[in-house]
Formats: sequence, structure tokens, C-alpha cells
Amino acid sequence: MTSRRSSWLPIIVGLPSISLLSACSGVQSSLDPAGAAAQLIADLWWPMLVVAALVTVLVLILLLISVFWSYRYRSARPLSHRQSRNLVIAGGIILPLSVTIPFALSSFSIGRTLYAPPPDNALAIEVIGKQWWWEIHYLDKNGDRIATTANELHVPVGEPIKLLLKSDNVIHSFWVPNIQGKTDMMPGQVNVTSLVADEPGVYRGQCAEYCGAQHALMAFLFIAEPEEDFDTWLEQQAQPAVAPKTNQAVQGREVFLDSGCASCHSIRGTRAQGDKGPDLTHLAGRRTLAAATVANHIGHLGGWITDPQHIKPESLMPPTELSPDELKALLSYLEGLE
Amino acid sequence: MRVINGIDATNMSRLHPDQRAPLWWGILGLITIESAVVLAFCVSYLYLAAHAEVWPPSGTAPPLLWPSINLGLLLLSCMTMYSAGQGINHGNKRRLAIGVTTSVLLASLVLVLRTKELMAYDFSWQDHAYGSIVWTISGFHYVHVTSMVLGSTAIAILAWRGYFTRERQIGVVVDTNYWYFVCIAWVPFYLLLYWGPRLYGN
Amino acid sequence: MTHQSSRVQERHDSPQEIEQLTRTWHSPRGFPGWFTHVNQRMIGRRFIITGFIFFLLAGVLGLLIRTQLAGPEQHFLGPELYNQFFTMHGTVMMFFFAIPVMEGFAIYVVPLMVGTRDMAFPRLNAFGYYIYLIGGIVLFGSLLVGMAPDAGWFNYVPLAGKEYSPGYGVDIWTTMITFIEVSALTAAVELIVTILRLRAPGMSLNRMPPFVWAALVMSFMIVFAMPAVIVSSTLLILDRLVDTQFFLVESGGQPLLWQHLFWFFGHPEVYIILVPALGMISTIIITFTGRPIFGYTALVLSVVSIGFVSFGLWVHHMFTTGLPQLGMSFFTAASVTIAIPSGVQIFCWIASLWGAKIRFATPMLWVLGFFAIFVIGGLTGVMIASIPFDTQVHDTFFLVAHFHYVLIGGAVFPLMGALYYWWPKFTGRLMSEAGGKWSFWLAFIGFNITFFPMHQLGLEGMPRRVYTYTAEMGWGDLNSLSTLGSFVLAAGFMVTLINAVWSLYRGQPAGENPWNAPTLEWATASPPPAYNYRHIPIVESRWPLWDWQCRGERSVVTGLSHQQREIVITSVLDADPVGVQILPSPTIWPFIAAVAASSGFIGLIFHPVFFVMGFFLVFFALVGWFWPRRPWKEEA
Repeated sequence: MTSRRSSWLPIIVGLPSISLLSACSGVQSSLDPAGAAAQLIADLWWPMLVVAALVTVLVLILLLISVFWSYRYRSARPLSHRQSRNLVIAGGIILPLSVTIPFALSSFSIGRTLYAPPPDNALAIEVIGKQWWWEIHYLDKNGDRIATTANELHVPVGEPIKLLLKSDNVIHSFWVPNIQGKTDMMPGQVNVTSLVADEPGVYRGQCAEYCGAQHALMAFLFIAEPEEDFDTWLEQQAQPAVAPKTNQAVQGREVFLDSGCASCHSIRGTRAQGDKGPDLTHLAGRRTLAAATVANHIGHLGGWITDPQHIKPESLMPPTELSPDELKALLSYLEGLE
Repeated sequence: MRVINGIDATNMSRLHPDQRAPLWWGILGLITIESAVVLAFCVSYLYLAAHAEVWPPSGTAPPLLWPSINLGLLLLSCMTMYSAGQGINHGNKRRLAIGVTTSVLLASLVLVLRTKELMAYDFSWQDHAYGSIVWTISGFHYVHVTSMVLGSTAIAILAWRGYFTRERQIGVVVDTNYWYFVCIAWVPFYLLLYWGPRLYGN
Repeated sequence: MTHQSSRVQERHDSPQEIEQLTRTWHSPRGFPGWFTHVNQRMIGRRFIITGFIFFLLAGVLGLLIRTQLAGPEQHFLGPELYNQFFTMHGTVMMFFFAIPVMEGFAIYVVPLMVGTRDMAFPRLNAFGYYIYLIGGIVLFGSLLVGMAPDAGWFNYVPLAGKEYSPGYGVDIWTTMITFIEVSALTAAVELIVTILRLRAPGMSLNRMPPFVWAALVMSFMIVFAMPAVIVSSTLLILDRLVDTQFFLVESGGQPLLWQHLFWFFGHPEVYIILVPALGMISTIIITFTGRPIFGYTALVLSVVSIGFVSFGLWVHHMFTTGLPQLGMSFFTAASVTIAIPSGVQIFCWIASLWGAKIRFATPMLWVLGFFAIFVIGGLTGVMIASIPFDTQVHDTFFLVAHFHYVLIGGAVFPLMGALYYWWPKFTGRLMSEAGGKWSFWLAFIGFNITFFPMHQLGLEGMPRRVYTYTAEMGWGDLNSLSTLGSFVLAAGFMVTLINAVWSLYRGQPAGENPWNAPTLEWATASPPPAYNYRHIPIVESRWPLWDWQCRGERSVVTGLSHQQREIVITSVLDADPVGVQILPSPTIWPFIAAVAASSGFIGLIFHPVFFVMGFFLVFFALVGWFWPRRPWKEEA
């Protein structure tokens, strides 16, 4: 009778290779670090993987050998009591201790670096988790809000950032794997975390604590850019809305104010002051809609306004009935909100 | 395979009024579980208190008099229960019946007093976390006192009918042990609810 | 060990004695009679069958989930249904399959293994089963009417509070938990008392089989862990029913209190599921190597220390909530220390297997599969004990992979092995070995194809509990692979189901001891008669049957009545006989009490008055249960 174990050894070896061969890099991958924190954690991961693989292989080889002996010999040749005892001490006490103690110590050491409080002059950004989108406020040195946006976070590369994570409803979790680990947004408390983005790029974050029906489509873009570009962007975000330039856009603004949009959304500089949905003052400058669910172009925007439930079922935005002309006007107004 | 007579159980006792009875261990199991529940309630109380700005929210600790009287009555009822148990241990059915009945009356009095006390609370469980935990702990204990009164009433009825004897009294043992537990469980609650805010008042 | 008769006297049984014994221990047949059964084997069998039915149902939910996730942006299941399905999959697997089925095996096997005729509280046993059954029917009923809970199996507040989950779904969850609490606690107390007080004379603690030790540790863990979830679910019921403010921040409520209480229960819960499986592994290894296990003491101490240490780990489920780093670091250290008793057990087993003449029957295959899978799961567990690493993989598919590796590898595989192992004892028939091997290989391969890619998906940023994902994430291929694997895994389990049913009609008849195992349950017929043992055995070694084979003779207890149900009570440490316990006969009161309690629990979904109603109904049911009937019991 052939050894039963030999047929699954290739599977055990092949399977990890197959899955590892697929993209190790990605816009939301913790294995593709672009921030100091994510880098430290990725540096912990690879040695852990190697050690874990070695321990697994060691245990399986020992098992294979013990099974193999059973086939090879007609009668039992068990280990002596002393040999068995030594095997148990070596494998069950010394091996776990020698793996877990260095592991725990390096984890503590990384933790001390990661969780050191941010410097006092760090740029402060307040992020509030909502069902199912992200409200973002940039703060000045006194903690006052200077700019408000939604679902798209910009930061200057290389600068320490202080995030104030909050929620006024259920628990959410703020997570940009390329940059850092996740931190929950708990109602009733402010979780402060600091991060540094090392490389410019567009990264994706996603809510990582089940928060209700549309937890799956609650994502955001995290854009790290050179400091001058960031300053320009922030400057623009702090301004009130650009005035509509064409007649159709002016008409669109009236449609916006008269169709109930203003009861939930705000556009600074108009009388729309709603606070239940995202601030739309600079909507046209964002790359995505509906919390990074679809790209921000006119087709999607029109579809979102007329039937949000089609793109994001159970989301809290109701459909809006508009005539084709009204819709076109509204879209041309919104497209102008750079 | 030869089968040999080993131990002869013919003359072993079939009635066990003590630790030999599985039911004694069963009630100990129930008491252990309930003690863990008591502990979890106490931990919840402390957790909510530690995270509160002011505890109690009104700023003043609840009055001490009636809870202390109730504590005294409950402990007294433990003593009468103990006396009842000792009675049947010596075969004295009358002492058992009187002891259990007295305990039931004392605990019923506690229920009446607690009802008046609860109705005099000037906050509701809906007002704030403090109200919620105080009412919940009070209600939890109240329900347990009710259950021990009801159970012991059944025991008292059987006692008056002469059912229990020195050997056949596991029901009494179980009931008295449960009684002691419910009364003593009031001690940590009493200390937390009424003394805690006084000693560590914010 | 003293024999009470000075002269060795052989025991011969007359047919009349056997007939009388059979009648005394008989359970009524037929429909109303079914509700009066109290025998441990009947109740144990019900727990096992009902548990496996829930396993199948929750497994189907798992397949539906995998089907929806097979590709990006699929519309097979919308978020409303999907969220109910993943909540139900987890809830049913953890509460209605894993614990009850382990309890069921313990309830069936432990009394046989310790050499007694029933458990300490037969009526409580039945009560616990009915509570479980009714709770399960309520839970599954809710799914059929589209009212299933949908806030995840651990039901975090504030999402699970009245404001964000209006409707009955979460109320069903809190009710279901109440049912399971009561059912699990009754079984736990039963097992503890049975194991400590009803063992056969001579079975001192250090002669107890490893599975009995595991059942004992599991039961103590249930006793100390369940109260935390009793309190947390009570607080949530109150918040939802009568507007208490436990979890509402505006009034001083604390959402994290839910997490602390739930996970104080939830972490030991997974070890409650694992520990009996560890006992099953020892059992199977002993039988299929045909020799005593190496390191009995080390194995027992390891299982006990796992029981203790598991209570000190719960905060590792809360590493991302913003708790102070220093406090959380303690839980990192505690979490990695559990690798040591686990490691000791693994190596004791390897030492036992080494050089032994192993019989590779199906139970042994499942045990070998356990090693491959559980070690991987345990190692990823050590990884996520690190706070920094956990902040990247918490709430992602990496975690989903981890816990399926430890739960399926660590609990379900040994459970399947135990099913094949004890099947001849339960039914008198052996399952097909060919079927067993097919089932194992399909399950093993399918399992790894399903769950290994999930590690990668988690590292690539895929969070858990998502009903879909966008195409540009690039997660589609691995998800498809995983879905494919899930159907292979399901096929593996289906083969066992078919095998089991087939064997009832065509399986090879098993004798008393087809595996030549050493423990007491194999010393009686397959399936055992209603009275388990013709005579309570007397035990003089850790491996009684092998011991008796050597000596050619064995001793038994005599003098127990055949007119009433009698068993022997023995001392805790050395199992010296101290008395005889008379056990109850079949009765309807456990069922009535269970219906009374259930009506209260279910009513609480709707109105607090049902608490009062349920309280008094249960009181009256207990009076009916316990009220002494004439003639009053006298001394023997």
C-alpha cells in the first residue's frame, strides 16, 4: 500500500504558491506599504510567514515520519518514555516559547513606535463614520474646522497626520491598508491615531467594522500628494462653492434647492445647510461617488440621484424624481462644483 | 470472560441528605452559575460608574436606611432557615416547619419593603445608565427573592405534612442552600449600590 | 480496592433478572411517549442528530454566501438577505451546532465511559434538550419569514440596539442566546456531577479516559463563561424592550461594555468547542494505535490549563477599539502562552503515534487531517495576537481563514472522526470505510481550497461581512477558487451523510468492540441496552477492557434493584462507592417546563409581561416536576 500522505503534499505546497502568485500589490493591500506604519507591519509579516511555514512543515514531517514507521515495520517500535518526554518538551514547550517570546517582544517594540502620540504640530483631520459614508473635516491649530469634504481624504506626503476618529451612530472602522492598520470609530469616544504617508499615490480605504446594510460599499480614497499640491487642494476645499457659470447651471442650483436635496446635503455659499448627507461643495473635484462605489462621471451621478437604491440598495438616500431637463440642469450645476 | 461479584450494594443507603446526593452538587452548580452572574452585574456596574462623569448622576448617593433593614431581615431569615435545617437533622419535624415558615414570612416582608423602596426611587431605568443598572440589579435580586419565597413555600407545605425525615430531606438541604445564596448575594449588591457612591463618590 | 465478598463468587444472570431490568429502564415508544424520555442515550442522540441538522442548514447558508461572493458585484443575494445569512451562518454554527453536538457526544458517551447507567439529572437532561430544540425552531423559523437577525453573530451595539436595528431580527438573536444559555448550562452541570459522582467504583480521577477529562473541563468552562453573555444579552434585551440606557452613549451607556462581556464569554466559547475535540483525538489515537497514550498526565494538565488560560484572552478581539496599549499588551502575552499547552498536546500525540502500528481506519484519517489544519490555524492565531499585525487583518478574510482553520480543523474534523468511531456503538453498524475515505479526502481538499486563499484576500484588504466587492479590487479570482472549494467541502460532508444513512440498512454489523478499544463503553452491546450495563463494572486500571482481556475476568457491582432505576454514587477522587441513587423514570414534566420557559423567552420579544407569565408557569411546572408522589421514597 502506498503512503497516503504523498498525494497531498503537492497540494499543501502548491496551494500557497498559487495564491501568493496572484497580486501581492494592490490599491488596498497591506502587503504593498506606502506608509510608515504599514511598512513596519509588513516587515513583521514576512518573517512570521517564514517561521510559521517552517513550524508547519516541521510538525507535518514529524507526523509523516511517525505514520511512515507504521507502514515500514511489521510490529510496533514505539519511542521510549525518555525519548517521548524529550520530544514533548522540545516540541511542546521549547519550540513554542522560542517562537512566541521573540515574536511578542518584536510586536511590543513595533507597537511602541506605531502608537507613539503624534507631534503637536501635526495636521489634524477629523473623520466621522456615517451610515455609509465618511465625513471629513480639516482642522486648524485651534481645532476649528476649516474645510469639509466627504469620502476622499488628501494628505501631504511625508508629514505626520493626526486623525481624530469619531462616530455618532454605530461603530465603524477607519482602514487604509497601504498606510496603516485600522482603528475603530466608537460612538462616545474619540480615537486618535497618527500616520505618515511615505509615497505619493491614490490608495483606497474601506470600513472594517460591520455597520449595517451597506457596510460592503463604504469605502474612501486616500490621496497622498506633494505638499504644494496638498496646500492648493486644501485652500480650494476651504472656499465656498464656485458660482454657477451657465444659465443651465443656475437653473440646476434652483433644482437642487427645491427638490429636497438641501434637507440632507450642504453646499457652502448657498442656503443648502443639510447635515445628514455628504457635503457637496466641491463634489466635482472628487473621483468617486457613493463612498468610492462608482467613478464620478455624469452617467453615474445621474443614476445615483434618480435611483440610489440601484447602485447601493438600502442606502439612506431616497430616489429623486426629476424631469429630464431638471436632471440635466442639476447635473451641469453639480459638475461645476470644482 | 468470567464475571465476579465485586461490591455488594444491597445495603447501601438510597437516601442521602448531604454531599453524597447528586442534587446537592446540582444546586451548588446553580449557585456557582448565579454567583458568576452576580459578579458580571457588579462588574457592569463598576464599568459604567468608572466611565461616568458623575455617579450617581444626581450627585447624591441613594438612602441607606431601608436597604440596611432589608439586609438585616434577609440575614435573620438565614438564621431561621439554618435552625430549620438543624431541626430536621435531629428529626424534629416541627422545628423544621416553623423555621421554614418564619423564613418565608421574613422574606415576604422584605419583598413588601423592597417594593415600597423601588416605587420611591426618583429615577427610572429609562433616564440614564445609572438608573438602568440600579433598577436591573434591584429587579434581578427581587426576582430571586420571589423565587426563593415560592420554592420555600412549597417546602413549608411539605414540612407541615410531615414529608421530611432525617434521611429524606434533600429537598430541605437544596432549598436552604439556595436561600443562603440569595441572601448573601444581596451583600455585594448592597455594598456597591449604597456604600460605593459614598466611599468613592465623584 | 476492596471486594466486599471475601470469597470470589462468579456472577450468573437469570433471564428473569434481565427482563425485569429491561422493563425498569424502558422508554415508552410512540408519539406522546417520545416527550417523556429521560435516558441519557436517547437525549444524547437527539442532541447529536439535531446538532448535525443545524450543521447542514448553516452549511447551506455558507454555500449561498460563497456563491454570492464568487465574483464581484454579483446580484445573487442582495445586502438584506446576505446580512441575515452570514449572521445566521455564524450564529447557528457556533450556538446550535458546535456546542450542542459536543454536548450530545458527551451526554451519550460519558456515562457509558464512566460505567454508569444514566446521568445525574435525567429530567434536567431532557429539559435542556427541549429548550435547545425549541430555540432552534424559533431561530430557523425567523429565517423562513425573513426576520432573521442581521447584525453579525456577535451582535455589536449600537448597531444591535433599537435605533439601528428596529424590527424583530436582533430580538430573535437575544432570545436565541437565552435558550442556548439555559440548555448549555444544564448540560454542563449534569456532566460535572455525573463525572465527579457517578463513576464506576475504582475509576479514580487519574484513571478517567481523556475524553471524560475533556468533557469535565468543557463543562466547567461553560459554567464560568456563560454568565457573562447572560448578563450582556439581558442588558440588550432590556435596552430594546423597556428602553434602559446601557448602550446608549447619550445617557452614559457604554458600547464597549457589550464587547467586554460578550468576548469574556466568546473567547472561552471557542475553546469550549475545541476542548472536547481534543479529548476525541486522544480517544481515537489510543484505539487506533492499540496502546496507552504517551503523556496522560501532561495531556490532562494541558487541557485543564487551556480551560483556565482561555479566560484571560478576551481583549484580543478588541485590539482596534482604542483601548490603552499597555493593558492590551498583556492580552498579547496571554494569547501566545496558549500555544504551550496546545503544543504539548500535539507532541504527546506525535510521540504516541511514532512507531506504533497505526490502523488507518476513517477515524484516524480525520485525526491526521486535524493535525495539518489545526497547526496552521494555531499559527495564524499566534500571529494575530500581535496588536500591530492584528490592526491590519482584524475584520478581514484573514481572520475568517484563521477561525475556520481552528474551528473546522480543530473541532469539526475530530468530530467527524468521533462520529465514525462511535457510530458502531450508537447504531450497531459500521459505516463504509470506502465512503469514509472519500468523505475525508473531499473534505480535506475542499476545506483547504476554500479557506487558504482567504488568508491572501485578507492581506489584500478584503474586509469580512461584505455582500459584494467592486471589480477593480482584483479579488475575484481567489474568491472564485474559494467558492469552488466550498462545494467540494460540502460534497465531502454529504458523503458522510449518505454513508451514515446507508449503513443503517446495509452496514456491517458491529459487535461490542469492533475497534478493540480499551474504554468501558465498548464493554456492552452495540447499541447498548436501555440499562447500559447489566452490572456496573469495577475498574482497576486506566484501560479497563485491555486489562480484563489480560486477566480473563472482571468484577462488577451487585445488589442494585431491578424494580427501580438504581446507580452507584462514588467518591470524587478515588471513586469509592458511598451510596446508591434512585433515578427518575420517564415523565412529561421536563417537556412541560421547557414549554413554559420557552413561552416566557419568546414572549419577551414582544412585551415584558411575558417575563412574569413565564416565571410563574415555570414555577408551577417545577412543582409538578418535583412534588413527591406517594408512596414516598423509603430506605432501600
